[in-house]
Amino acid sequence: MTERLRPAGLEERARLKAMYDVPMDVAEFVRCAAAPLTAEEIAETRELITWFTQRYPTGVERLAYARRAWERWSRSGP
Amino acid sequence: MRGSDFDELGFFAAIEASGARSLLIGRRALVLLGLPVLTADYDLWLHADDIAVLNAAVAPFDLVATVDAVEARRRGRYVLQNDEHVDVLVARSVSTVDGESVTFDDLWARRAELWIDDHVRVMIPALADLRRTKRFAARPKDLADLRMLDVLIAERGS
Repeated sequence: MTERLRPAGLEERARLKAMYDVPMDVAEFVRCAAAPLTAEEIAETRELITWFTQRYPTGVERLAYARRAWERWSRSGP
Repeated sequence: MRGSDFDELGFFAAIEASGARSLLIGRRALVLLGLPVLTADYDLWLHADDIAVLNAAVAPFDLVATVDAVEARRRGRYVLQNDEHVDVLVARSVSTVDGESVTFDDLWARRAELWIDDHVRVMIPALADLRRTKRFAARPKDLADLRMLDVLIAERGS
């Protein structure tokens, strides 16, 4: 049985956002950026692009999705 | 103006109609390219001489500049905001974390246009240049974006 994911609370989301926004060690960033893409990364990204562009074929639809996604994320409480 | 009421299509149409040399960078550009990433803000890179033009164009959307044009040029960036938040980079060039100088004029010369509906275009950097802008700060989210952009570049070219 799949465990239902619990929405992140306000503090948890702030912590996640900070983690994602705080600069990394530059050498580590450069090393990771230069690393070859893995087959898994390529497959996952392609899958994501295919899903998104087929579901939302136009730019304006994609932008609207992004706004809805942000609103959902920012409103999801604990 | 509440965020959900923001006329996003009108916003981009007004920028295009103004003639301001403005490139959409950041995660909204990735969204337009087909990557469903999470983002709250808009990021523009604007020619430093076009601050007044852009500000006038977006004034009907109640977007107000946080500083005047002189101060914006001194800082190299400013913000347009109401309930929306538009980060506007106006530096003529920016160095990446690994020391490459990225110049607005070069990106503008190589820009790509994306039609977001039948009537409105948005200017974005070429993919390879968008990748360069993702090296302005060494944040984990930039790294994640870089990796996804690399897949796009491999498929579509730069």
